[in-house]
Amino acid sequence: MTAGSTSSPAVVARWQAYLPLVPALLFLAVFLIAPLAATVWSSLSPNVVIKFEGHGFDNFRYLFGKAYYIETILRTLRIALIVTLIALAVGYPAAYILRDLSERIGATMIIVLTFPILTGPLVVVLGWMILLSDGGPLIHPLTQMGWLKPLRLLGTETAIVIGLVHFTLPFVILTVFSSLKQIPDDLLEAARSLGAGRLQVLARVVWPLSLPGVLSATLIAFSLAASAYISPHYLGGPTQLVLTTLVGQFILATFNSELASAAAILLLVIMAAIIFAFTRFVTRFIRG
Amino acid sequence: MKRLAGSVNSLFLVLVYLFVLGPALVIVADSFNSATSFPSPFESATLKWYRQMLAHDEFLASMQISAIVALLSALIATALAIFAAYALIRHPLRGKNALSTFLMGPLLVPQIVIGLAMLQLIGQLGLRIGLTGLVLVHAVYILPFALRLVMASLARFEFVLEEAAQSLGAGRLRTLWHVTLPMIRPGLASGFIFAFILSFVNLPVSLFLTSPQTATLPIVMFAYMESRIDPLIAAVASAILIATAVASLVLERVFRLRLFG
Repeated sequence: MTAGSTSSPAVVARWQAYLPLVPALLFLAVFLIAPLAATVWSSLSPNVVIKFEGHGFDNFRYLFGKAYYIETILRTLRIALIVTLIALAVGYPAAYILRDLSERIGATMIIVLTFPILTGPLVVVLGWMILLSDGGPLIHPLTQMGWLKPLRLLGTETAIVIGLVHFTLPFVILTVFSSLKQIPDDLLEAARSLGAGRLQVLARVVWPLSLPGVLSATLIAFSLAASAYISPHYLGGPTQLVLTTLVGQFILATFNSELASAAAILLLVIMAAIIFAFTRFVTRFIRG
Repeated sequence: MKRLAGSVNSLFLVLVYLFVLGPALVIVADSFNSATSFPSPFESATLKWYRQMLAHDEFLASMQISAIVALLSALIATALAIFAAYALIRHPLRGKNALSTFLMGPLLVPQIVIGLAMLQLIGQLGLRIGLTGLVLVHAVYILPFALRLVMASLARFEFVLEEAAQSLGAGRLRTLWHVTLPMIRPGLASGFIFAFILSFVNLPVSLFLTSPQTATLPIVMFAYMESRIDPLIAAVASAILIATAVASLVLERVFRLRLFG
Protein backbone atom coordinates (compact mmCIF):
# COMPACT_ATOMS: atom_id res chain seq x y z
CA MET A 1 0.00 0.00 0.00
CA THR A 2 1.46 3.32 -1.00
CA ALA A 3 0.96 6.48 0.95
CA GLY A 4 -1.82 8.65 -0.39
CA SER A 5 -3.75 5.81 -2.01
CA THR A 6 -7.39 5.57 -0.98
CA SER A 7 -6.81 2.29 0.83
CA SER A 8 -4.16 3.57 3.23
CA PRO A 9 -4.53 2.13 6.75
CA ALA A 10 -5.83 5.39 8.22
CA VAL A 11 -8.65 5.59 5.69
CA VAL A 12 -9.58 1.96 6.15
CA ALA A 13 -9.72 2.48 9.91
CA ARG A 14 -11.97 5.50 9.41
CA TRP A 15 -14.36 3.68 7.17
CA GLN A 16 -14.43 0.69 9.49
CA ALA A 17 -15.12 2.94 12.46
CA TYR A 18 -18.59 3.57 11.02
CA LEU A 19 -19.39 -0.12 10.54
CA PRO A 20 -20.80 -0.83 14.03
CA LEU A 21 -23.38 1.91 13.42
CA VAL A 22 -24.84 0.16 10.40
CA PRO A 23 -27.17 -2.30 12.17
CA ALA A 24 -28.82 0.41 14.30
CA LEU A 25 -29.09 2.85 11.37
CA LEU A 26 -30.59 0.20 9.11
CA PHE A 27 -32.95 -0.90 11.85
CA LEU A 28 -34.34 2.61 12.29
CA ALA A 29 -34.46 3.17 8.53
CA VAL A 30 -36.59 0.06 8.04
CA PHE A 31 -38.74 0.14 11.17
CA LEU A 32 -39.14 3.87 11.82
CA ILE A 33 -38.39 5.88 8.68
CA ALA A 34 -40.10 3.52 6.22
CA PRO A 35 -43.22 3.32 8.44
CA LEU A 36 -43.29 7.12 8.68
CA ALA A 37 -43.00 7.33 4.90
CA ALA A 38 -45.91 4.88 4.66
CA THR A 39 -47.86 7.18 6.98
CA VAL A 40 -47.15 10.23 4.83
CA TRP A 41 -48.26 8.21 1.78
CA SER A 42 -51.42 7.13 3.56
CA SER A 43 -52.19 10.73 4.60
CA LEU A 44 -52.05 11.75 0.93
CA SER A 45 -54.11 8.79 -0.26
CA PRO A 46 -57.70 8.86 -1.47
CA ASN A 47 -60.14 8.40 1.37
CA VAL A 48 -62.94 5.98 0.64
CA VAL A 49 -65.00 7.08 3.61
CA ILE A 50 -65.29 10.71 2.56
CA LYS A 51 -65.08 9.99 -1.17
CA PHE A 52 -61.79 11.66 -2.11
CA GLU A 53 -60.29 10.60 -5.40
CA GLY A 54 -56.63 10.58 -6.34
CA HIS A 55 -53.64 11.51 -4.22
CA GLY A 56 -53.42 14.95 -2.68
CA PHE A 57 -53.95 17.05 0.39
CA ASP A 58 -57.67 16.33 0.66
CA ASN A 59 -57.33 14.65 4.07
CA PHE A 60 -55.54 17.68 5.47
CA ARG A 61 -58.00 20.06 3.82
CA TYR A 62 -60.81 18.10 5.43
CA LEU A 63 -59.21 18.41 8.91
CA PHE A 64 -58.63 22.14 8.48
CA GLY A 65 -62.14 22.65 7.13
CA LYS A 66 -63.94 21.64 10.30
CA ALA A 67 -64.10 23.83 13.40
CA TYR A 68 -64.11 20.65 15.49
CA TYR A 69 -60.65 19.62 14.28
CA ILE A 70 -59.25 23.16 14.43
CA GLU A 71 -60.37 23.26 18.06
CA THR A 72 -58.59 19.92 18.60
CA ILE A 73 -55.34 21.34 17.23
CA LEU A 74 -55.65 24.50 19.31
CA ARG A 75 -56.49 22.48 22.42
CA THR A 76 -53.37 20.35 21.91
CA LEU A 77 -51.16 23.44 21.74
CA ARG A 78 -52.94 25.28 24.56
CA ILE A 79 -52.60 22.31 26.91
CA ALA A 80 -48.95 21.72 25.98
CA LEU A 81 -48.14 25.40 26.57
CA ILE A 82 -49.90 25.66 29.94
CA VAL A 83 -48.40 22.36 31.11
CA THR A 84 -44.91 23.50 30.12
CA LEU A 85 -45.26 26.79 31.99
CA ILE A 86 -46.62 25.19 35.17
CA ALA A 87 -44.06 22.38 35.13
CA LEU A 88 -41.22 24.91 34.78
CA ALA A 89 -42.65 27.23 37.44
CA VAL A 90 -42.90 24.35 39.93
CA GLY A 91 -39.95 22.30 38.73
CA TYR A 92 -37.29 25.01 38.75
CA PRO A 93 -37.66 25.98 42.43
CA ALA A 94 -37.91 22.30 43.36
CA ALA A 95 -34.67 21.52 41.53
CA TYR A 96 -33.04 24.57 43.12
CA ILE A 97 -33.98 23.38 46.62
CA LEU A 98 -32.88 19.80 45.81
CA ARG A 99 -29.47 21.09 44.72
CA ASP A 100 -28.73 22.40 48.20
CA LEU A 101 -29.72 19.21 50.02
CA SER A 102 -27.01 16.93 51.38
CA GLU A 103 -25.63 14.35 48.97
CA ARG A 104 -27.38 11.43 50.72
CA ILE A 105 -30.88 12.86 51.00
CA GLY A 106 -30.64 14.56 47.61
CA ALA A 107 -29.70 11.30 45.86
CA THR A 108 -32.67 9.46 47.40
CA MET A 109 -35.06 12.27 46.49
CA ILE A 110 -33.81 12.08 42.90
CA ILE A 111 -34.38 8.31 42.69
CA VAL A 112 -37.92 8.82 43.95
CA LEU A 113 -38.55 11.10 40.96
CA THR A 114 -37.66 8.29 38.55
CA PHE A 115 -40.46 6.02 39.94
CA PRO A 116 -43.30 7.66 37.98
CA ILE A 117 -41.10 7.76 34.86
CA LEU A 118 -40.44 4.02 35.08
CA THR A 119 -43.99 2.97 35.90
CA GLY A 120 -45.31 4.99 33.00
CA PRO A 121 -48.49 7.05 32.74
CA LEU A 122 -51.06 4.25 32.38
CA VAL A 123 -50.67 3.03 35.95
CA VAL A 124 -50.46 6.52 37.39
CA VAL A 125 -53.44 7.94 35.49
CA LEU A 126 -55.64 5.50 37.38
CA GLY A 127 -54.62 7.33 40.55
CA TRP A 128 -55.72 10.63 39.03
CA MET A 129 -59.03 9.14 37.95
CA ILE A 130 -59.61 8.26 41.60
CA LEU A 131 -58.25 11.54 43.03
CA LEU A 132 -60.10 13.85 40.63
CA SER A 133 -63.46 12.10 40.78
CA ASP A 134 -66.10 13.76 42.92
CA GLY A 135 -66.44 10.60 44.99
CA GLY A 136 -62.68 10.32 45.51
CA PRO A 137 -60.67 10.80 48.71
CA LEU A 138 -59.62 14.34 47.77
CA ILE A 139 -62.89 15.99 46.81
CA HIS A 140 -65.52 13.87 48.56
CA PRO A 141 -64.63 14.91 52.15
CA LEU A 142 -64.55 18.59 51.15
CA THR A 143 -67.97 18.45 49.49
CA GLN A 144 -69.35 16.48 52.47
CA MET A 145 -68.32 19.32 54.78
CA GLY A 146 -69.80 21.85 52.41
CA TRP A 147 -66.48 23.54 51.64
CA LEU A 148 -66.65 22.70 47.99
CA LYS A 149 -69.27 22.11 45.34
CA PRO A 150 -68.80 18.95 43.25
CA LEU A 151 -66.21 19.94 40.65
CA ARG A 152 -66.80 17.39 37.88
CA LEU A 153 -63.10 17.66 37.00
CA LEU A 154 -62.92 14.44 35.00
CA GLY A 155 -63.54 15.05 31.33
CA THR A 156 -62.27 18.64 31.45
CA GLU A 157 -59.18 20.34 30.12
CA THR A 158 -58.16 21.13 33.69
CA ALA A 159 -57.95 17.41 34.46
CA ILE A 160 -55.74 16.83 31.42
CA VAL A 161 -53.47 19.68 32.51
CA ILE A 162 -53.17 18.27 36.04
CA GLY A 163 -52.36 14.80 34.70
CA LEU A 164 -49.78 16.12 32.25
CA VAL A 165 -48.09 18.46 34.74
CA HIS A 166 -47.73 15.39 36.93
CA PHE A 167 -46.33 13.40 34.01
CA THR A 168 -43.80 16.04 32.87
CA LEU A 169 -42.74 17.45 36.26
CA PRO A 170 -40.17 14.71 37.12
CA PHE A 171 -38.48 15.16 33.73
CA VAL A 172 -38.32 18.94 34.24
CA ILE A 173 -36.95 18.67 37.79
CA LEU A 174 -34.32 16.10 36.77
CA THR A 175 -33.20 18.11 33.74
CA VAL A 176 -32.96 21.42 35.61
CA PHE A 177 -31.34 19.67 38.57
CA SER A 178 -28.53 18.26 36.47
CA SER A 179 -27.79 21.68 34.97
CA LEU A 180 -27.86 23.30 38.44
CA LYS A 181 -25.46 20.62 39.72
CA GLN A 182 -22.91 21.72 37.14
CA ILE A 183 -22.66 25.19 38.65
CA PRO A 184 -19.62 25.09 40.97
CA ASP A 185 -20.34 25.92 44.62
CA ASP A 186 -17.27 28.20 44.62
CA LEU A 187 -19.00 30.52 42.23
CA LEU A 188 -21.95 30.97 44.59
CA GLU A 189 -19.56 31.40 47.52
CA ALA A 190 -17.71 34.09 45.59
CA ALA A 191 -20.94 35.95 44.81
CA ARG A 192 -22.00 35.76 48.46
CA SER A 193 -18.65 36.93 49.77
CA LEU A 194 -18.90 39.92 47.45
CA GLY A 195 -22.10 40.83 49.24
CA ALA A 196 -24.84 39.34 47.07
CA GLY A 197 -27.98 38.23 48.93
CA ARG A 198 -29.80 34.94 48.30
CA LEU A 199 -32.09 36.41 45.68
CA GLN A 200 -29.28 38.26 43.95
CA VAL A 201 -27.19 35.09 43.72
CA LEU A 202 -30.20 33.31 42.25
CA ALA A 203 -31.05 36.04 39.75
CA ARG A 204 -27.55 37.05 38.65
CA VAL A 205 -25.54 33.82 38.92
CA VAL A 206 -27.66 30.67 39.13
CA TRP A 207 -30.46 31.55 36.73
CA PRO A 208 -28.27 32.68 33.78
CA LEU A 209 -25.99 29.65 34.15
CA SER A 210 -28.93 27.25 34.27
CA LEU A 211 -30.57 28.61 31.10
CA PRO A 212 -29.38 25.73 28.85
CA GLY A 213 -31.00 23.30 31.31
CA VAL A 214 -34.20 25.38 31.36
CA LEU A 215 -34.23 25.38 27.56
CA SER A 216 -33.97 21.61 27.29
CA ALA A 217 -36.51 21.15 30.10
CA THR A 218 -38.90 23.42 28.16
CA LEU A 219 -38.49 21.39 24.99
CA ILE A 220 -38.87 18.07 26.84
CA ALA A 221 -41.99 19.24 28.70
CA PHE A 222 -43.60 20.66 25.58
CA SER A 223 -42.99 17.61 23.42
CA LEU A 224 -44.05 15.19 26.16
CA ALA A 225 -47.25 17.17 26.74
CA ALA A 226 -48.10 17.52 23.05
CA SER A 227 -47.44 13.85 22.31
CA ALA A 228 -49.06 12.32 25.38
CA TYR A 229 -51.95 9.97 24.76
CA ILE A 230 -52.91 8.40 28.07
CA SER A 231 -53.72 11.45 30.21
CA PRO A 232 -55.85 13.16 27.53
CA HIS A 233 -57.64 9.88 26.83
CA TYR A 234 -58.59 9.07 30.41
CA LEU A 235 -58.82 12.51 32.01
CA GLY A 236 -60.24 14.42 29.03
CA GLY A 237 -62.11 11.77 27.10
CA PRO A 238 -63.98 12.10 23.81
CA THR A 239 -65.26 15.63 24.50
CA GLN A 240 -61.74 17.02 24.99
CA LEU A 241 -59.86 15.54 22.07
CA VAL A 242 -56.24 16.44 21.36
CA LEU A 243 -54.31 15.33 18.26
CA THR A 244 -53.07 12.06 19.78
CA THR A 245 -56.49 10.99 20.99
CA LEU A 246 -57.93 12.08 17.65
CA VAL A 247 -55.53 9.67 15.94
CA GLY A 248 -56.68 6.99 18.37
CA GLN A 249 -60.32 7.71 17.61
CA PHE A 250 -59.79 7.62 13.86
CA ILE A 251 -58.20 4.16 14.11
CA LEU A 252 -60.17 2.56 16.95
CA ALA A 253 -63.63 4.10 16.49
CA THR A 254 -64.14 5.34 12.94
CA PHE A 255 -61.59 3.07 11.19
CA ASN A 256 -60.32 5.88 9.00
CA SER A 257 -56.67 5.14 8.43
CA GLU A 258 -56.06 8.06 6.04
CA LEU A 259 -57.40 10.71 8.42
CA ALA A 260 -55.48 9.11 11.28
CA SER A 261 -52.30 9.39 9.23
CA ALA A 262 -53.05 13.00 8.32
CA ALA A 263 -53.65 13.90 11.98
CA ALA A 264 -50.43 12.12 13.00
CA ILE A 265 -48.36 13.88 10.34
CA LEU A 266 -49.96 17.17 11.34
CA LEU A 267 -48.93 16.58 14.96
CA LEU A 268 -45.35 15.77 13.92
CA VAL A 269 -45.07 18.82 11.65
CA ILE A 270 -46.57 21.21 14.21
CA MET A 271 -44.29 19.92 16.98
CA ALA A 272 -41.20 20.08 14.77
CA ALA A 273 -42.06 23.63 13.63
CA ILE A 274 -42.62 24.88 17.18
CA ILE A 275 -39.48 23.24 18.56
CA PHE A 276 -37.42 24.58 15.65
CA ALA A 277 -38.82 28.12 15.95
CA PHE A 278 -38.40 28.15 19.72
CA THR A 279 -34.79 26.94 19.55
CA ARG A 280 -33.97 29.53 16.87
CA PHE A 281 -35.59 32.28 18.91
CA VAL A 282 -33.78 31.32 22.10
CA THR A 283 -30.33 30.95 20.53
CA ARG A 284 -30.72 34.34 18.86
CA PHE A 285 -31.91 35.82 22.15
CA ILE A 286 -28.93 34.39 24.05
CA ARG A 287 -26.42 35.60 21.47
CA GLY A 288 -28.06 39.00 21.91
CA MET B 1 -35.23 34.89 58.18
CA LYS B 2 -32.95 32.14 56.92
CA ARG B 3 -34.85 29.62 59.08
CA LEU B 4 -38.12 30.83 57.68
CA ALA B 5 -36.83 30.51 54.11
CA GLY B 6 -35.60 27.03 54.99
CA SER B 7 -38.96 25.83 56.27
CA VAL B 8 -40.82 27.41 53.36
CA ASN B 9 -38.46 25.49 51.07
CA SER B 10 -39.06 22.23 52.91
CA LEU B 11 -42.81 22.73 52.84
CA PHE B 12 -42.70 23.42 49.09
CA LEU B 13 -40.63 20.31 48.47
CA VAL B 14 -42.98 18.17 50.56
CA LEU B 15 -45.96 19.45 48.56
CA VAL B 16 -44.17 18.73 45.26
CA TYR B 17 -43.38 15.18 46.36
CA LEU B 18 -46.93 14.62 47.61
CA PHE B 19 -48.14 15.68 44.18
CA VAL B 20 -45.63 13.42 42.41
CA LEU B 21 -46.30 10.35 44.57
CA GLY B 22 -49.96 10.99 45.45
CA PRO B 23 -51.62 9.05 42.62
CA ALA B 24 -49.37 6.03 43.17
CA LEU B 25 -50.08 6.03 46.93
CA VAL B 26 -53.82 6.22 46.28
CA ILE B 27 -53.68 3.23 43.94
CA VAL B 28 -51.68 1.10 46.37
CA ALA B 29 -54.02 2.05 49.23
CA ASP B 30 -57.12 1.24 47.19
CA SER B 31 -55.70 -2.11 46.08
CA PHE B 32 -55.66 -3.24 49.75
CA ASN B 33 -59.09 -1.76 50.53
CA SER B 34 -61.77 -4.37 51.15
CA ALA B 35 -64.64 -2.00 50.20
CA THR B 36 -66.27 -3.24 47.00
CA SER B 37 -67.65 0.06 45.71
CA PHE B 38 -64.97 2.21 44.17
CA PRO B 39 -63.52 4.63 45.06
CA SER B 40 -64.57 4.52 48.70
CA PRO B 41 -63.08 5.27 52.15
CA PHE B 42 -60.69 2.68 53.56
CA GLU B 43 -62.57 -0.11 55.36
CA SER B 44 -60.13 -2.88 56.17
CA ALA B 45 -57.01 -4.37 54.66
CA THR B 46 -57.38 -7.32 52.32
CA LEU B 47 -55.42 -9.25 49.72
CA LYS B 48 -58.53 -10.47 47.89
CA TRP B 49 -58.02 -8.18 44.87
CA TYR B 50 -54.53 -9.59 44.39
CA ARG B 51 -55.95 -13.12 44.67
CA GLN B 52 -58.53 -12.19 42.03
CA MET B 53 -55.78 -10.84 39.82
CA LEU B 54 -53.84 -14.10 40.07
CA ALA B 55 -56.99 -16.01 39.13
CA HIS B 56 -57.75 -13.74 36.17
CA ASP B 57 -56.68 -15.62 33.02
CA GLU B 58 -56.67 -12.58 30.75
CA PHE B 59 -54.34 -10.56 32.97
CA LEU B 60 -52.02 -13.51 33.47
CA ALA B 61 -51.83 -14.35 29.76
CA SER B 62 -51.15 -10.71 28.88
CA MET B 63 -48.38 -10.52 31.48
CA GLN B 64 -46.66 -13.38 29.68
CA ILE B 65 -47.07 -11.65 26.30
CA SER B 66 -45.70 -8.42 27.77
CA ALA B 67 -42.74 -10.26 29.27
CA ILE B 68 -41.94 -11.94 25.93
CA VAL B 69 -42.26 -8.69 23.97
CA ALA B 70 -40.19 -6.76 26.53
CA LEU B 71 -37.50 -9.43 26.68
CA LEU B 72 -37.07 -9.74 22.92
CA SER B 73 -37.27 -6.02 22.18
CA ALA B 74 -34.87 -5.16 25.01
CA LEU B 75 -32.40 -7.77 23.68
CA ILE B 76 -32.60 -6.33 20.16
CA ALA B 77 -32.33 -2.72 21.35
CA THR B 78 -29.42 -3.43 23.70
CA ALA B 79 -27.49 -5.38 21.04
CA LEU B 80 -27.95 -2.58 18.49
CA ALA B 81 -27.06 -0.03 21.15
CA ILE B 82 -23.80 -1.77 22.10
CA PHE B 83 -22.39 -1.57 18.57
CA ALA B 84 -23.74 1.91 17.84
CA ALA B 85 -22.52 3.31 21.16
CA TYR B 86 -19.10 1.73 20.59
CA ALA B 87 -18.76 3.44 17.22
CA LEU B 88 -19.94 6.79 18.60
CA ILE B 89 -17.66 6.77 21.65
CA ARG B 90 -14.52 4.90 20.53
CA HIS B 91 -13.23 7.14 17.76
CA PRO B 92 -13.89 10.77 16.92
CA LEU B 93 -16.26 10.39 13.96
CA ARG B 94 -17.16 12.96 11.38
CA GLY B 95 -20.90 13.57 11.54
CA LYS B 96 -21.13 12.08 15.02
CA ASN B 97 -23.75 14.59 16.19
CA ALA B 98 -26.00 14.02 13.21
CA LEU B 99 -25.71 10.25 13.61
CA SER B 100 -26.50 10.24 17.31
CA THR B 101 -29.40 12.65 16.78
CA PHE B 102 -30.81 10.28 14.18
CA LEU B 103 -30.43 7.32 16.54
CA MET B 104 -32.24 9.31 19.26
CA GLY B 105 -34.97 10.01 16.69
CA PRO B 106 -37.63 7.71 18.16
CA LEU B 107 -37.69 10.05 21.19
CA LEU B 108 -38.91 12.88 18.99
CA VAL B 109 -41.81 10.95 17.48
CA PRO B 110 -44.94 10.67 19.65
CA GLN B 111 -45.33 7.05 20.75
CA ILE B 112 -48.78 6.74 19.25
CA VAL B 113 -47.34 7.90 15.90
CA ILE B 114 -44.57 5.25 16.09
CA GLY B 115 -47.30 2.63 16.49
CA LEU B 116 -49.56 4.12 13.82
CA ALA B 117 -46.64 4.29 11.37
CA MET B 118 -45.87 0.60 11.83
CA LEU B 119 -49.55 -0.18 11.29
CA GLN B 120 -49.51 1.78 8.02
CA LEU B 121 -46.40 -0.03 6.77
CA ILE B 122 -47.81 -3.43 7.69
CA GLY B 123 -51.09 -2.54 6.01
CA GLN B 124 -49.49 -1.24 2.81
CA LEU B 125 -47.27 -4.31 2.52
CA GLY B 126 -50.35 -6.47 2.93
CA LEU B 127 -48.94 -8.18 6.04
CA ARG B 128 -50.83 -9.06 9.17
CA ILE B 129 -50.18 -7.66 12.63
CA GLY B 130 -48.50 -10.17 14.91
CA LEU B 131 -45.94 -10.63 17.61
CA THR B 132 -43.00 -9.83 15.28
CA GLY B 133 -44.26 -6.36 14.43
CA LEU B 134 -44.98 -5.68 18.08
CA VAL B 135 -41.47 -6.70 19.15
CA LEU B 136 -39.83 -4.62 16.40
CA VAL B 137 -41.85 -1.50 17.11
CA HIS B 138 -41.06 -1.79 20.83
CA ALA B 139 -37.36 -2.15 19.97
CA VAL B 140 -37.59 1.08 17.94
CA TYR B 141 -39.20 2.89 20.86
CA ILE B 142 -36.68 1.76 23.51
CA LEU B 143 -33.53 1.98 21.38
CA PRO B 144 -32.67 5.60 22.38
CA PHE B 145 -32.92 4.78 26.08
CA ALA B 146 -30.68 1.72 25.77
CA LEU B 147 -28.27 3.69 23.62
CA ARG B 148 -28.05 6.54 26.08
CA LEU B 149 -27.23 4.25 29.01
CA VAL B 150 -24.69 2.15 27.10
CA MET B 151 -23.03 5.33 25.79
CA ALA B 152 -22.82 6.73 29.31
CA SER B 153 -21.01 3.67 30.58
CA LEU B 154 -18.72 3.43 27.54
CA ALA B 155 -17.78 7.08 28.01
CA ARG B 156 -16.22 6.14 31.35
CA PHE B 157 -14.39 3.11 29.90
CA GLU B 158 -10.59 3.30 29.63
CA PHE B 159 -9.89 2.35 26.03
CA VAL B 160 -6.20 1.90 26.91
CA LEU B 161 -7.30 -1.53 28.15
CA GLU B 162 -8.39 -2.42 24.62
CA GLU B 163 -5.07 -1.35 23.22
CA ALA B 164 -3.33 -3.47 25.85
CA ALA B 165 -5.40 -6.52 24.84
CA GLN B 166 -4.75 -5.92 21.18
CA SER B 167 -1.03 -5.46 21.69
CA LEU B 168 -1.09 -8.86 23.38
CA GLY B 169 -2.52 -10.32 20.19
CA ALA B 170 -6.30 -10.32 20.74
CA GLY B 171 -8.41 -9.47 17.67
CA ARG B 172 -11.06 -6.75 17.60
CA LEU B 173 -14.09 -8.93 18.36
CA ARG B 174 -12.18 -10.95 20.94
CA THR B 175 -11.19 -7.73 22.68
CA LEU B 176 -14.76 -6.48 22.61
CA TRP B 177 -16.14 -9.75 24.00
CA HIS B 178 -13.48 -10.48 26.62
CA VAL B 179 -12.38 -7.02 27.72
CA THR B 180 -14.73 -4.18 26.85
CA LEU B 181 -18.16 -5.76 27.37
CA PRO B 182 -17.32 -7.36 30.75
CA MET B 183 -16.04 -4.01 31.97
CA ILE B 184 -19.22 -2.17 31.07
CA ARG B 185 -21.54 -4.95 32.26
CA PRO B 186 -23.32 -2.69 34.81
CA GLY B 187 -24.16 -0.19 32.07
CA LEU B 188 -25.39 -2.95 29.78
CA ALA B 189 -27.49 -4.49 32.52
CA SER B 190 -29.09 -1.20 33.51
CA GLY B 191 -29.72 -0.35 29.84
CA PHE B 192 -31.36 -3.72 29.33
CA ILE B 193 -33.50 -3.58 32.48
CA PHE B 194 -34.57 0.01 31.80
CA ALA B 195 -35.49 -0.89 28.21
CA PHE B 196 -37.36 -3.98 29.43
CA ILE B 197 -39.45 -1.97 31.89
CA LEU B 198 -40.25 0.78 29.38
CA SER B 199 -41.48 -1.84 26.93
CA PHE B 200 -43.39 -3.79 29.57
CA VAL B 201 -45.49 -0.82 30.74
CA ASN B 202 -46.00 0.85 27.36
CA LEU B 203 -49.47 1.35 25.94
CA PRO B 204 -49.45 3.88 23.04
CA VAL B 205 -46.82 2.10 20.92
CA SER B 206 -48.80 -1.18 21.00
CA LEU B 207 -52.27 0.36 20.82
CA PHE B 208 -52.95 -0.37 17.13
CA LEU B 209 -50.73 -3.43 16.79
CA THR B 210 -52.20 -6.12 18.99
CA SER B 211 -54.71 -8.86 18.35
CA PRO B 212 -56.55 -10.80 21.08
CA GLN B 213 -53.72 -13.35 20.91
CA THR B 214 -50.96 -10.76 21.34
CA ALA B 215 -52.61 -8.35 23.79
CA THR B 216 -49.99 -7.01 26.20
CA LEU B 217 -50.75 -6.22 29.83
CA PRO B 218 -51.20 -2.45 29.22
CA ILE B 219 -53.55 -3.26 26.32
CA VAL B 220 -55.68 -5.52 28.50
CA MET B 221 -55.68 -2.87 31.24
CA PHE B 222 -56.70 -0.27 28.63
CA ALA B 223 -59.61 -2.40 27.45
CA TYR B 224 -60.64 -3.12 31.04
CA MET B 225 -60.51 0.55 32.05
CA GLU B 226 -62.72 1.55 29.09
CA SER B 227 -65.65 -0.10 30.82
CA ARG B 228 -64.90 0.10 34.53
CA ILE B 229 -62.56 1.22 37.31
CA ASP B 230 -62.51 -1.14 40.26
CA PRO B 231 -60.23 -2.49 43.00
CA LEU B 232 -59.07 -5.33 40.74
CA ILE B 233 -57.50 -2.93 38.22
CA ALA B 234 -56.02 -1.02 41.18
CA ALA B 235 -54.38 -4.28 42.30
CA VAL B 236 -52.92 -4.86 38.82
CA ALA B 237 -51.64 -1.27 38.67
CA SER B 238 -50.16 -1.42 42.14
CA ALA B 239 -48.44 -4.73 41.35
CA ILE B 240 -46.73 -2.95 38.45
CA LEU B 241 -45.90 0.01 40.70
CA ILE B 242 -44.34 -2.17 43.36
CA ALA B 243 -42.38 -4.21 40.80
CA THR B 244 -40.95 -1.13 39.08
CA ALA B 245 -40.17 0.54 42.41
CA VAL B 246 -38.15 -2.53 43.40
CA ALA B 247 -36.51 -2.64 39.98
CA SER B 248 -35.50 1.00 40.13
CA LEU B 249 -33.98 0.52 43.59
CA VAL B 250 -32.04 -2.46 42.25
CA LEU B 251 -30.92 -0.41 39.26
CA GLU B 252 -29.73 2.35 41.54
CA ARG B 253 -28.10 0.23 44.24
CA VAL B 254 -26.62 -2.63 42.22
CA PHE B 255 -25.88 -1.00 38.89
CA ARG B 256 -25.51 2.64 40.00
CA LEU B 257 -27.83 3.71 37.24
CA ARG B 258 -27.92 7.43 36.58
CA LEU B 259 -30.77 8.28 34.27
CA PHE B 260 -30.05 11.96 34.51
CA GLY B 261 -27.13 14.12 35.49
